[in-house]
Amino acid sequence: MSRRILLAVACVLTALLLQATVVDRLRLPGGEPDLLLVTLASLALVGGPVYGAVAGFAAGLLADVLPPADHTIGRLAFVYAVVGYFAGLLEDAEERSVFAAVAVVALGSVGAVVLYGGVGALLGDARVTAHAVEHALVATVLYDVFLAPFIVPLVSGAARRVEPATTY
Amino acid sequence: MRDNRRARVILALLLLTAFTLITLDYRAGGGGPLRRIGNAVFGPIENAAADVARPIGGFFSGLAHLSSYKHDNAKLRKQVAELTQRLRLTDAQRAEFVDMEKLLHLDQKAQFRIVAAHVVALSGSFGFESTATIDAGSSDGLRPDETVINGDGLVGRTLSVGPTTSTVLLGSDATFRAGARLEGSLQAGYVNGGGRGPMTFTLLDSQGTIQVGARLVTFGDLNNRPFVPEVPIGRVTKVSPPNGALTRTATVASYVRYGTLDVVGVVIAMPHAPPRDSLLPPRPTPTQSTTSPSPTQTPSTPPPSTPPASSTAVNPTPSTSKS
Repeated sequence: MSRRILLAVACVLTALLLQATVVDRLRLPGGEPDLLLVTLASLALVGGPVYGAVAGFAAGLLADVLPPADHTIGRLAFVYAVVGYFAGLLEDAEERSVFAAVAVVALGSVGAVVLYGGVGALLGDARVTAHAVEHALVATVLYDVFLAPFIVPLVSGAARRVEPATTY
Repeated sequence: MRDNRRARVILALLLLTAFTLITLDYRAGGGGPLRRIGNAVFGPIENAAADVARPIGGFFSGLAHLSSYKHDNAKLRKQVAELTQRLRLTDAQRAEFVDMEKLLHLDQKAQFRIVAAHVVALSGSFGFESTATIDAGSSDGLRPDETVINGDGLVGRTLSVGPTTSTVLLGSDATFRAGARLEGSLQAGYVNGGGRGPMTFTLLDSQGTIQVGARLVTFGDLNNRPFVPEVPIGRVTKVSPPNGALTRTATVASYVRYGTLDVVGVVIAMPHAPPRDSLLPPRPTPTQSTTSPSPTQTPSTPPPSTPPASSTAVNPTPSTSKS
């Protein structure tokens, strides 16, 4: 278990720093992929709901305090905990087919944007408008789905290698 | 699906914790202790990561924007040939040099005292926010709520300031707002960052008129915080029809391109205000970056990486084609 925790920490930190210093600066048309979401979904698909929820909460909290962030702390922790839990419920789906994993990432992306926007709307966040949510949905889902076939096998494969038999 | 009960209890506990954090931070109003810790711990890590990532990002960014680069290619080729003769610099250093030169130019015209910084990271959060981390902080003399500019104009204002990094709210953020004034008049209003849309300008005088092409500068706030006066913002591209409202609104094309920010300057002091409208770019080509730094006015030294920059290597002979 402990090796899998180490793996999660390494994956999450890599995804967060890559996202902030490289991906968000690429000026991709429309928006950006969410590397953290794809990474968490991959981890949860191997580790199960508890592992997914805890990893999601911790990673979300890191994303909440990572410097350029300027929203209420706890919002991303909430979102990623939920996404990690539900992705974990579909444990080992990506072993059956890569399409299942892509579908999990797509659903997770939709859920994450809607939840993040929803909590923001409750808190009266002026950045959350229908227009912004639409934009974020299209961009995040498309880019995440595009990246999923590359990231999911990589991360899930690594997770399986460090802890072959047992799942949590 | 085994162990479902236990998983649900754990999820519920986590969500409860998240809601507690949200409530606490919401009541603290954004400047809570967690944010400060995040700044202090992750700022230096991001700085280091950005140093490694900058060339990689530049490469992929170049791939993603080939078409727009092709468009500029012919125009730039001549300049590049000239520059490669004058300066033996890498692509990134050259771009940075141009940015620095422009910033220095604006800085000298205005007599601001600025701290120059690099953008090291931009915000994620599904693209709702438009904020940036820069590699200067309280150890460089920065404070929250100070104006951030670059060579083109207004970039934003500082939000939270850590020891070695700061967070900047960019002009493209939906919550960004700054007092603004129309060029050549005292008609005041404010600009709003558009979020996903363009920036807008609201004129507070219902009898006032806005012309398409009119240019906007910052109005300036009390004690020059958060905004110093006279910083160019952008120009009006479309005026909304008046529909009985007490204010007039217009769409604004900002001078600064928020997606491509690299070198910025934080205004930490302004001894006296610059003459009115003196910082706007030359009239005929408002968006062109025709920086022609006269070699006579460079009292403060340019960045150390560019020693043979302006005056020494200038030879009047027309540059031949590249080697």
